[in-house]
Amino acid sequence: MSSHAGRVALVTGAGRGIGRAIADSHAAAGAAVAYLDHDRELAETAAREAVAKGWQAVGLSADVADYEAVVEACRKVTDAFGPVDILVNNAGISPKTGADGRRSPAWEMSPEEFRRVLDVNLTGAFNCARAVLPGMKAMGRGRIVNQSSVAGKTFCDIVGVHYAASKAALIGFTKHLAGEVGPFGITVNAVAPGRIDTPLMRGTASEANEAARMATPLRRLGSPEDVAATYLFLTSDSASFVTGQVVDVAGGWLMT
Amino acid sequence: MTTTTHDFSGRTLLLTGAVGTIGREIAKRFLASGANCVVTDLDLDAVTSFARDLDPNLERVLPLKHDAGMPEDAERVAQAAKDRFGAIDFVVTSAGLYKDAMVETMTDAQWKQSLAVNLDGVFYTCRAAIPHLAEGGSIVNIASVAGHRGSFAHAHYAAAKGAVLTFSRSLAVELAPKIRVNAVSPGLIDGPMVQNLLQMTGTKLIEQTPLKRLGKPEEIASVIAFLCSSDASFITGASLHVNGGLYISS
Ligand SMILES: NC(=O)c1ccc[n+]([C@@H]2O[C@H](COP(=O)([O-])OP(=O)(O)OC[C@H]3O[C@@H](n4cnc5c(N)ncnc54)[C@H](O)[C@@H]3O)[C@@H](O)[C@H]2O)c1
Ligand SMILES: NC(=O)c1ccc[n+]([C@@H]2O[C@H](COP(=O)([O-])OP(=O)(O)OC[C@H]3O[C@@H](n4cnc5c(N)ncnc54)[C@H](O)[C@@H]3O)[C@@H](O)[C@H]2O)c1
Repeated sequence: MSSHAGRVALVTGAGRGIGRAIADSHAAAGAAVAYLDHDRELAETAAREAVAKGWQAVGLSADVADYEAVVEACRKVTDAFGPVDILVNNAGISPKTGADGRRSPAWEMSPEEFRRVLDVNLTGAFNCARAVLPGMKAMGRGRIVNQSSVAGKTFCDIVGVHYAASKAALIGFTKHLAGEVGPFGITVNAVAPGRIDTPLMRGTASEANEAARMATPLRRLGSPEDVAATYLFLTSDSASFVTGQVVDVAGGWLMT
Repeated sequence: MTTTTHDFSGRTLLLTGAVGTIGREIAKRFLASGANCVVTDLDLDAVTSFARDLDPNLERVLPLKHDAGMPEDAERVAQAAKDRFGAIDFVVTSAGLYKDAMVETMTDAQWKQSLAVNLDGVFYTCRAAIPHLAEGGSIVNIASVAGHRGSFAHAHYAAAKGAVLTFSRSLAVELAPKIRVNAVSPGLIDGPMVQNLLQMTGTKLIEQTPLKRLGKPEEIASVIAFLCSSDASFITGASLHVNGGLYISS
């Protein structure tokens, strides 16, 4: 399949989990993909394995919360493949520093932890968009997709207040940015996954995940590939008139 | 870049409102992806001639007359789909009626006609199809931006479309985990349905649309094909807006 041939995609948090599946699906569809992750080892391994499959890929290490590092990474992508057409803001953290590996309750959370989650999950998305938008504007096309969560739309007992706030903020970010950049042929959307089986999710107690599975009408947890397929749709011409929207990929969980 | 394509070979679509602007593109897209298409609409001649354009020998296309407001039509059409192709995999309800009327002067007949086509038709069609649905199947009901935000001079239409959204979510829970049910809400799509509105409002609505244009009916069909495909296998009970950013909510 070469629905994305000739496109350049930058995927953050692409070293593992959902980000890795999104990056792989775009590379398999013909895009040249920059696998960006804070963890250099993960980014380079993922990109190396992609290249071994005959895909176009490069691994990059940067903390999305660090604007200078993001700009430098984008310069490397542009040097390697040309300007970025597709930005996937997937990098995200959900610290579980309370008792028994649960979220820290708001009344005990450290201000540093709160700030760091906002820095990565929200400001990280701004930093990357800020870095690639001038290029997209100049080309008159572009796709940005932001990783929100059903936890950004409704109370979800598993996550902390910082995470919910950051994911809700990404929805406002998505809607506003879609309005600003639509006239330049750029679409901006968000995806709100439900419970997806990844290393991040396995950080929470298994009873909580079983409860989420039973509350999900499709009676299973999602896979990273389930989410990646929606990203591939949103960045393809199939979604050319879809912008400013949040797509739930949650098996019917919460129907937010 | 091209749109992603899906392999629907051997699978069967039941489509209402098939000779409408959007319905035609849905039929074309599913047929091109290999599906059998049961295409239904009010006027048998129109739907038959459309079917012959698509497939001159009518091997994979079955045209049928179907008034969405008639429960017995839905039963007949669903049974015919099953008899001809063995089962139904996809149901897409595209029949719709968008007439101008202010509430203060709206007649009972106008209200009832709108609800009959836009809401009752969705219920009748889905109910009739359920016994024949194959596991892994998918229902997509076409709602509208009007069903989310309301619509001046179209309260009957907006009320029906809003109900289609909650009907779809409820059905998603009832039919899970075997069948997925979603809704698609188009914004302004180029075709006869929006001509009156555009005449009344000029270019205002296009200016309010971030993508600065009307949608094409193909751009609705491609989203429906995605929702029916295995790429959307974890999406149920959702509604997807396709409106170029004209309405940005939820
Ligand atoms: N797993 C779920 O159930 C679920 C549900 C809803 C939303 N999400 C979101 O999906 C995204 C991916 O989640 P996942 O489950 O794959 O997580 P994960 O922890 O398995 O992977 C996240 C990746 O992002 C990288 N990363 C973390 N901080 C970074 C930073 N500052 N800069 C660059 N890279 C960084 C990590 O190194 C890791 O490789 C996150 O935004 C998460 O909030 C996940
Ligand atoms: N075009 C748009 O901008 C737009 C916007 C939002 C929603 N929609 C929805 O999309 C769907 C398709 O719209 P379209 O643009 O193709 O409209 P259209 O008017 O071109 O087609 C509608 C079709 O429904 C058929 N129909 C009408 N009454 C019927 C009945 N009683 N039984 C069976 N069929 C009947 C008509 O014969 C016609 O073929 C409709 O549900 C509509 O409400 C369209």
